[in-house]
Amino acid sequence: MAANQTYVIIGASAAGLSAACAIVKTEPEAKVTVLSEETDSPYFRPMIPFIISGEKSPADVAMTGQGPYQAKGIDLRLNTRVVSLDTHSNQVKTKSGDTVLFDRLLIASGSSPYIPRDIEGTGIKGVYALRTLAQARDAAQRSSSARHAILLGGGLLNLKAAFALLEKKVAVTLVVYSPEILSQLMEPDDAVMIRQALEHAGLKIMTGRSAKTIVQGPNGVKAVILDNGVDIPCDMVFIGKGVRPCVDFLKSSDMEIDQGVVVDPYTRTSRENIFAAGDVAVTFDPVTGNRVVTGLWTNAAEMGLCAGKNMAGDPTAYAGTFGVMNATQVAGLPFVSMGQVHPGSGDYEVHRNVSGNAYRKLVFSKEGKHLVGLVMVGDITHAGLYRYIMREQRDIRRVKEKIIGQTLTSAHLMYG
Amino acid sequence: MDQIKEIFVRKDLCMGCHSCELACAVAHSASKNIYEAMGEHPMPKSRVYVETVSASVPVPILCRHCEDAPCMHACIAGAIHRTADQAVVTDADKCIGCWTCVMVCPYGVIGRHLEARKAYRCDRCQDRDQPACVSACPTKALVYQTVTDFSKDLRRKAAEELSRGEGR
Repeated sequence: MAANQTYVIIGASAAGLSAACAIVKTEPEAKVTVLSEETDSPYFRPMIPFIISGEKSPADVAMTGQGPYQAKGIDLRLNTRVVSLDTHSNQVKTKSGDTVLFDRLLIASGSSPYIPRDIEGTGIKGVYALRTLAQARDAAQRSSSARHAILLGGGLLNLKAAFALLEKKVAVTLVVYSPEILSQLMEPDDAVMIRQALEHAGLKIMTGRSAKTIVQGPNGVKAVILDNGVDIPCDMVFIGKGVRPCVDFLKSSDMEIDQGVVVDPYTRTSRENIFAAGDVAVTFDPVTGNRVVTGLWTNAAEMGLCAGKNMAGDPTAYAGTFGVMNATQVAGLPFVSMGQVHPGSGDYEVHRNVSGNAYRKLVFSKEGKHLVGLVMVGDITHAGLYRYIMREQRDIRRVKEKIIGQTLTSAHLMYG
Repeated sequence: MDQIKEIFVRKDLCMGCHSCELACAVAHSASKNIYEAMGEHPMPKSRVYVETVSASVPVPILCRHCEDAPCMHACIAGAIHRTADQAVVTDADKCIGCWTCVMVCPYGVIGRHLEARKAYRCDRCQDRDQPACVSACPTKALVYQTVTDFSKDLRRKAAEELSRGEGR
């Protein structure tokens, strides 16, 4: 059925290339064309903070031929930005005026940084909303002679950028509007240990503050004026306020957009031959059923893999993902956050546990039948096991004490 | 295509002696010698875990080298790939210790050297003919076979038990 189809993929990052590899694996004779607006060959985007610190070179973070991205025979066209989609004649138009015809299309155009409109001066030289390798190279160069950077936003990207800058001996001030850092990933009480570790590592953190104006000097940015009028000199500014799906080029098409491109569980849009995956796609939370858009590499790669199989005629349902899910290690502390991590005073059964260098918060549904959220700091043993039981909505009553006592292993689920 | 060998667990034969864990840690040490391995830094770690379901039921758990390995697709550094003989392995040089693999592994079998920021896991002992855990198991609870041979053995044993039960 899918033989000799022409596959076109918009976007050459996690979702796009996962799909391309899956198509070639499923149908070795397939003709797959991937269009990328970037001039750099595909790379592992989450690695770009290491370009700033100098710990990795662009060659180190190249994607093709690495990890699962081993497929050959994919026609990759760089510097090719898609500006419109015509779903009736099955073609996309590029910025240079070319048209590309497809039998099956994957929209994997990703997301772009959100730049708050109420901050003045975001276009000044030395202000970064870190997204691309090209920007990271530029930031690496500027950081070599910089003394102080102000990072707006207290999320993971800025924390990673902060440590890259500290490596380069640049002082860092994190300006966070929320009451505490990592507010998307956890509640303020969950972040105490991480904040202490960050401050101990030399980060200056201001919470409950936002930037009003970025001030231009002779060599780009020279200061940031905060909402309380305080003026802080700096040579670099990083805006880390999350991302938004790249859907502008679809405005004139009949694609259903709800923040991102709406797809069914088989990653298919309202058009039978058009699919979407990754940051640009609207997916669903397996626990709440709510629509979610995420900006996570891991989700994009997994969803792209499903999309590629579906496009090549191997129907594969995507299991959805939690709106909140991430892991990393900062300042020597590993942590994982997933699912309903903001129970607030809602109807949940919440267990918090502090022991030594570890903190854990477990969120169970009201009747105690399901694990719905989890924050682990310091010790992330078996995090994936919890993700599995959350995603599959396993009835955990039989093993609940083991979850709370942190003695659950996969052996209990397989043979218990 | 030749079938590849995998490590299978005969749960009924495991007596929980933890020999596999010791052998695994030594096989993944710099010295490959138990006495020297104990003094190495970071301390060599086992990639097989003998867990207990209840007080008396030990179960060795190890990497399944999953078909659509979630860890491999989740890795943000391209540090995890599948070898020609189908083992899913982590390249320590590329690993940055972001623990995304740990977050998605449903078996909980990816270990962490926190200080070095390197993930580690079963690599089916790429440099040995037989994985160290299998060689070390005194009861043959761990076996290294192809799927076909393993299931054939299980069928034969089941048939023997059945015929014994019928008094022949």
